Amino acid sequence: MLVCFSGALVTWTRACRRSSAGWVAFATVVVSSLLVLTGVGRVLIFGPGEPVTCLEVYSIGFALRLHVDGLSAVFLGLIATVAIPSALYSIEYMQHHLEHGKGRYYPDFLIFITAMYGLVSTTDMMWFFFIFWQMMTLAGYTLIRFDPMNPGRLRAANKFLIMMQIACAVSMIGAQLLVNAGGPSSASPMLRYDFGSVSHHLPELLIKSPGIVTTALALFLVGFGIKMGMWPFGQIWLPDAHPAAPSPVSAMLSGVMIKTGVYGLMRCFLWLVPAKACVDYPIHYWGVVVTLLGTVTLLTGTVQALSQDSSKRLLAFSTIGQAGYILLGLGVCMTLIGSADRAVSALGVAAFYGTLFHTLNHGVFKSLLFLNAGSVLHATATQDLNKLGGLMRYMPVTAVTALIASFSIAGVPLFNGFASKWGIFTAAIQGNPACRLLPVCVMVAIITSAVTLALFMKFFGVIFLSRTSLLVANRARRHRRLEVGWKMRVPQIALASICVLFGLLPALPISIIRRALEGSRQGFGEMLAAASPLPSGGWAGIGSSNHEFIYVPVFLAFVLVAMFLVTRRVAKLGGSQRRSAKPWLCGYAKEAEMNRYRASNFYAEVKRCVRWMGGAPRPQPEPVPVPDDK
Amino acid sequence: MKTLLSILGGLANVAIVLLVAPFFQGVLRKITALIQSRQGPPIWQPYFDLLKLLGKEDIESGESPLMQRFAVYLSLATVLTVACLVPMGFTAPMNAAGDVILLIYLLTLCGICTLLAGLAAGSTYSLLGASREMMTMIALEPLFAVAIVVGAVHTQSFRLDTVLNGSVYASAAFPWSGVIMFGVMLLSFQAFVQRVPFDISEAETEIMEGPLMEYSGPKLALFKYAQMAKLVIYSALFVTLFVPWGTGLMFPLGWLVFWAKVTGLVLLVTLVAATHARYRIDQAIRYFAALLAVALVALVLASYGY
Repeated sequence: MLVCFSGALVTWTRACRRSSAGWVAFATVVVSSLLVLTGVGRVLIFGPGEPVTCLEVYSIGFALRLHVDGLSAVFLGLIATVAIPSALYSIEYMQHHLEHGKGRYYPDFLIFITAMYGLVSTTDMMWFFFIFWQMMTLAGYTLIRFDPMNPGRLRAANKFLIMMQIACAVSMIGAQLLVNAGGPSSASPMLRYDFGSVSHHLPELLIKSPGIVTTALALFLVGFGIKMGMWPFGQIWLPDAHPAAPSPVSAMLSGVMIKTGVYGLMRCFLWLVPAKACVDYPIHYWGVVVTLLGTVTLLTGTVQALSQDSSKRLLAFSTIGQAGYILLGLGVCMTLIGSADRAVSALGVAAFYGTLFHTLNHGVFKSLLFLNAGSVLHATATQDLNKLGGLMRYMPVTAVTALIASFSIAGVPLFNGFASKWGIFTAAIQGNPACRLLPVCVMVAIITSAVTLALFMKFFGVIFLSRTSLLVANRARRHRRLEVGWKMRVPQIALASICVLFGLLPALPISIIRRALEGSRQGFGEMLAAASPLPSGGWAGIGSSNHEFIYVPVFLAFVLVAMFLVTRRVAKLGGSQRRSAKPWLCGYAKEAEMNRYRASNFYAEVKRCVRWMGGAPRPQPEPVPVPDDK
Repeated sequence: MKTLLSILGGLANVAIVLLVAPFFQGVLRKITALIQSRQGPPIWQPYFDLLKLLGKEDIESGESPLMQRFAVYLSLATVLTVACLVPMGFTAPMNAAGDVILLIYLLTLCGICTLLAGLAAGSTYSLLGASREMMTMIALEPLFAVAIVVGAVHTQSFRLDTVLNGSVYASAAFPWSGVIMFGVMLLSFQAFVQRVPFDISEAETEIMEGPLMEYSGPKLALFKYAQMAKLVIYSALFVTLFVPWGTGLMFPLGWLVFWAKVTGLVLLVTLVAATHARYRIDQAIRYFAALLAVALVALVLASYGY
């Protein structure tokens, strides 16, 4: 499996040095993703294979050791699932940039994906971590500064580069600390930095010098925290980098790249320390720290997003908010799992399922939202929400998929975002006796989810509903057809159907996660695999074995649809006639553009109350006019 | 058998809510009129209003009529689905379909439909109303969630029938948190059922019914129906959460006691609505923020077992 995988890497970068056609890139992405997906399937069904070692340089402990266990498999699956739609989407989206040469775009795009595949499957904590990280960062850097229409791109790209280098350095120092303190290693020096051998030394190290381990873990938290947009680091680079990049890249950045940070945190805090050493490992306190950081992150990120007027910048801030949910879930898991009480640690496992599920969900719906924003940008050449309106009439497919994504991220029942948040919340509230803090953190998260809803009602409402703005009317008159082509529609539809599928059948991803955890027994992974807190079967939804919490979306959907049909029938009983008319504007229909209710007007009172949290909207630079290609 | 029973129970709940909701509205209007020294419409008037609206012309003003229709149908459908989850004198019928967290988010979905309808209508007033509605929802959803979570923390369960049964008082020590939440919910109850002084998002005299401004005919009828049903459902929720006493009696008695309590609550709502003036949105938000702070204190107390 891994041989195919490495083979794919090579063909990739080769094939795309040619400046011709995104199709080659798309084909390579599809081929490699399919290889990766079959590999993932094999890992999930038959269990993980043996680690593959190649490229050894004995003296400095340089060895590429790839090992795909269950946890890596889940993340690989996510990357592959998002990479295919993004690549297809790129083909049409990048046609604007013909003159700048796709020769630069596609290879970087592929290197970026390759690096992420590598990063989640290497077991080497020093050299190859560094190499993959740099591949990812540099490719990301060029991709962010690629878009010639965006004047702020250089600044954004530089910030990204600097923050990523800091993150890289910090995590590597952490790894070095652990390895040095581990003393003369019993394994061959070649595997000095290997994850497994570091993990092997850790129990004695925890007894001998807990200070060093604590420092190293703190460094890991900072390093991967920067990557995943944790407060306060996320606010520095993320809101600039995401909007500056071309949309398919933003989708990859937000949907997938920050997940490598999540992966790193999960590995370091749950997989690194062997379960037998948990007496010396204060996982409970680490959990509390991560929970608090997560709570702050989700609140600040989402509230700051509320005041944004630019579509992609709004999405970028909400990415920070959603990363906060993931951190919160991870924190809850770590707080509870170390407990001696089996019932409590089972709740920790439930929280972990919720977290990993939310990670997958966020990858899907946030990349979908970025693709939607990209389609709107493609059709209207603006990111400014104040200038948009009424696009649902012109872009029905984009509108419906954006509605599905908005419902998912806002946690509306029957969509996938609800199912995963539900998992985190129920576990955290039930875990109250073990940590008194959790209900309050959950309540902050529930408040934030109301804010998220507000955010995406505004996002969806002002772009697709509201009233046709002057800009949209002009564009529509000039182009006759605003909806994007099928190459951009298909990826959106595909991602939206994943949202609906996972929302209606949450048992499906839950069972995938269970298979994954069974194939990943190391550290606390062992405990995660041993307990199975959310028994679920096909249509039956998810819930605890004692039925204290339960969620059956299929049944609920059935009731809701039945009621919907009834109300529809009732509405037709009176036999009233339908007629369409212009909305009544108190006689000021001529000034319709002047008295439109704009995005910046929404939620003014709430925004005033939370101004101290920061995140003032940037004045929007006027984009350079797009060369019209239609 | 069990599934059949739950489906029948759900249908019964839906039927009760649909039948009773206009009646309560009629009572509300009559009593308001009496307080203001008017004669007021007959109690059955809301039924006739709804029937008449169903036959009136249906004018669609927005950019996307499909969205408008979708939002309207979904609005009443969600309210009726919630009716299946809430105990109305008996235990909750659809216990096996979801828990209280689902209930919290389903109630939000009711609000979302109004929002979508307002956004789709395309009038500036509707958008203004939708924005206000959302701002109140940001403050109100957490308040209700705190009340539910306090119950869930006390009982260590999320089951509908366990939590929606006076669970806020189920702590070992004196239930300070429950008492505080009772006060908080009572003080914010007008906002949940969208009556004066917190009907800011509709504010007929100011922004002309906000989100509903452009709706007419059957669409307006469905919205009004949903709003009336919300009054019944929220009252039932309040009663089951905070005033559980007497519901456990024998069949006809307990049932009657339950509906007597709901009627009492509706009367209270009417009284407050008829004697107060509307708040501005910024005043209301400050008021809710203060209540939310108190509610969080209650939650902390609950997590320590009080």
